[in-house]
Amino acid sequence: MGDKQGSILILFLLLAAVVTAVFIYVYVSSTTKSSQEESAKSFSNAQRFWFFLLLIVTLSVFATVTIPKSPYYLFEEESPSKVVFVAARQFYWTLSYKAIDSESPGIGEAIELQSGEVIEFRVTSLDVNHGFAIYDESNNLVAQTQAMPGYVNRLRWKFEKPGAYKVLCLEYCGIAHAVMRASFTVR
Amino acid sequence: MERTKLARITSIWIIVILVLFILSIVFGILMRLSQGKVISQSPVSFYSLMTTHGLTMIGIWFVAGMAGVNYLMQRYVFAPVKSNIFALLLTIIGVVLLWVTTFVGNFHTGWTFLYPLPFKIAWAQWATPLFLVSLVILGVGWLVWSVSMLIAILKKYPITRALAWQHFERNPSFETPPFILITVITLIGVITCLLAAVLLLGLFFAEYFSSGTFVNDPLLMKNLTYFFGHTIANEMLYLGLATLYELLPEVSGRPKWKTSWYVALAWNCTLVFILTAFFHHMYMDFVQPEGFQIVGQLASYLASLPAVAVTVFSTLTLIYRNPIRWSLTNTLYFMGVAGWVIGGLGAVIDATIVNNFVLHNTLWVPAHFHTYNAMGNVLFSLAFFNWAANGFTGSTESSKANRLKIALLLIGGTGFLLMFYLGGAYSIPRRFNIYPGEFSLAAPFAWIAAIFATVYLVAILIFFWNISRKCLKLLTYS
Amino acid sequence: MLKATYIFLTILLAWVSELYAQPPAYNYNLEEETNIYKHVADIKVITEERNVHLSEIYSERPVILVLVFTRCTGVCNPLLMRLKENFAFINSRSEFTILVLSFDPRDSLEDMQSMAKRFTLEEDPQWRFAISREMDELNQSIGFNPVWDSRRKQFDHAALLVGVNKNGFITKKLIGLRNQEALTAMIREINDVFIPSYPLPNNKQFFSCFNYDPATGKNSPGWGLLILSLPSMLTLLLVLVIGNIYSHKHPRS
Repeated sequence: MGDKQGSILILFLLLAAVVTAVFIYVYVSSTTKSSQEESAKSFSNAQRFWFFLLLIVTLSVFATVTIPKSPYYLFEEESPSKVVFVAARQFYWTLSYKAIDSESPGIGEAIELQSGEVIEFRVTSLDVNHGFAIYDESNNLVAQTQAMPGYVNRLRWKFEKPGAYKVLCLEYCGIAHAVMRASFTVR
Repeated sequence: MERTKLARITSIWIIVILVLFILSIVFGILMRLSQGKVISQSPVSFYSLMTTHGLTMIGIWFVAGMAGVNYLMQRYVFAPVKSNIFALLLTIIGVVLLWVTTFVGNFHTGWTFLYPLPFKIAWAQWATPLFLVSLVILGVGWLVWSVSMLIAILKKYPITRALAWQHFERNPSFETPPFILITVITLIGVITCLLAAVLLLGLFFAEYFSSGTFVNDPLLMKNLTYFFGHTIANEMLYLGLATLYELLPEVSGRPKWKTSWYVALAWNCTLVFILTAFFHHMYMDFVQPEGFQIVGQLASYLASLPAVAVTVFSTLTLIYRNPIRWSLTNTLYFMGVAGWVIGGLGAVIDATIVNNFVLHNTLWVPAHFHTYNAMGNVLFSLAFFNWAANGFTGSTESSKANRLKIALLLIGGTGFLLMFYLGGAYSIPRRFNIYPGEFSLAAPFAWIAAIFATVYLVAILIFFWNISRKCLKLLTYS
Repeated sequence: MLKATYIFLTILLAWVSELYAQPPAYNYNLEEETNIYKHVADIKVITEERNVHLSEIYSERPVILVLVFTRCTGVCNPLLMRLKENFAFINSRSEFTILVLSFDPRDSLEDMQSMAKRFTLEEDPQWRFAISREMDELNQSIGFNPVWDSRRKQFDHAALLVGVNKNGFITKKLIGLRNQEALTAMIREINDVFIPSYPLPNNKQFFSCFNYDPATGKNSPGWGLLILSLPSMLTLLLVLVIGNIYSHKHPRS
């Protein structure tokens, strides 16, 4: 499991556990005998307000921290050392150092990249929507962008780890969606 | 015994929905078994099944919410009956036609039918136009129904009161029932997304009949698809919530909830947030303007605020240390709220763009929306069905039976969903009929999920047995 | 209620009328996507003032290289004319140099200066006309292959513009006679402004969500965006109309 995905899962499970615990606690509180003896608890608007405030602060922190790290402008200050052109079609990826002719896309070429360098992937589709998704050797999803017909999406990425990377299709595109793949190496 | 026309139609809805639900769960289990390499399916069969499963599930839980709201509406206004029946007929016809396209025609674009995939014909030629036509039939029925329900409310309540705007005044002269507020807000959202579907289908047909002279912009079509799809999935959840607001306090023996200024504010804001959150489906389309992407994340975050601060908080405080008359109905509502919150956690995490970069179209996506549904909205609707069926016949069932159903739902649902979340964390792609060998955990996750889903199915079968018997009793009572 | 409906309709109409925008004519040549992010050869360039390395020019300001020759009876003159017209109209706050280089060994500096005079660009500080004895090296680095036609005594060549950023990397190439939109896209690229996506040309697309305007780097709403907003607008209108119809039924409070 990738580090990022691992932390996401832990965060989710922790929060889900907290929510479950709260709900169980609340449920139990309504069934114990003592609740019937005491007067019913009521909550003031002030308490609701504080709860709301806690929520809005948490979400604001997450929004402020995460939005600037969005992948659209990754490495925009740096000049990529290579451009890799990617054309997707049912059910084949063409990767090439040269722009791909939609009339005769060909089978592309073997791609070899250098670690520590910024690479720019220019991704398009020649027919339907596909998803260009890069997986590392541990089968973790590293980066992705959509391949949409009529548009070229530019994904810049720096591979720190050398190795064999694979490309899977991550947007359902038909019967061979699951076997559509490509690969490249990073030295 | 409740014998009104509306009660009879609602009981037909309940039976139809539960039957389709059971069949759709079976389709889902077959898919997971196939992915788990327990059974073998051709890709075409798998993907046709996947298309059927997705569309049927969205369809039935949408109409379940609508039927519930239509039924409860009669407490406040003259509830429409003709449009209800019209929608029932068109829904049945639409679903049948849909199943014909997928099972007979092998149509398999997935429930999102993302342009231009329906035109890359890898199935019977007639399946594409028939698919679009079946969606039109469903859409027409549902649009007429929602407009007629809106009219029913607006006949009695002026718009500003229906939207509870008077609650922003110091001393509101009139209290808008929460049920009416939520229903109106939701119906506005429903009509909007159905109109988006109308436009989407119009553009599909324009291209289909133009023989190549009119070609759509894939980006626009994708935006419209998710505007319709995301919004309908959320609005159907709010329809379930409308029934919760109405029934939970009543069934629990607590005082009815009242609309206040923050309830009015929360629900009015929800309308805006829900209509703009759909951009979160397009984060990986770098061609979208960055402004839209940010709106997507912000709207998705903001949508959780009214939900949690109002509905969830109110639900918890209704129950906390109060003497509650626990029954199956309110237990289901209570569990459903928990499921909705947990699904919301998964959703907000995925709606964060940096996370979406590594979660988009992995199993995390079905994880969160199955949580919203299987352990959220479905429970709201089951609660309503249970309440309604008991009301139709004046009966209940034993607490032992109820405990069994709850336990099966909890165990089955939790296990089934956990497999999806784990799958997403392991970057396992969604919508793969067969997992590549290197994802060694993918197949085990899948068949384990199938086992848990079967447990869940058993619960649903018991529900079906109990509820449909009561509904049939009503229908056959002369 | 009726008033609200009319006001709403007026606003809607006003907004719709603003939305009409021409999609830019973005022509696309596969050869333009070669040598991208490669380093341009740092050749010695002979200008009117002095001999200078290309790096001294681009390190000061990004450069747009224009490859021509003075004895050209083909595309060179129309190319320069088009460039002169377009650059005059492009309101770009960024500074860049347009370096017109001859790839014909017969061309002297005087020939280039005459060319500059013909286009009345000799006084314009942004335009520099020059030659070099190292054109082979440059041509290789930018992927330019002029072919000598001995019968017509002409070079067969593409009308090529090469955009070079301040670090000497080729960030954009344009082939053919290009319009303002393409040129401003080039200016953005040589200034290292990254736009994460661009459209491919498709004459048949009727409704774009957005029309990308390279001049501002912003997307202006197209008809597609109107379509996207229609459901909300129509629903709002519907609600207002229904409310209006039934408003007389409600007792005045």
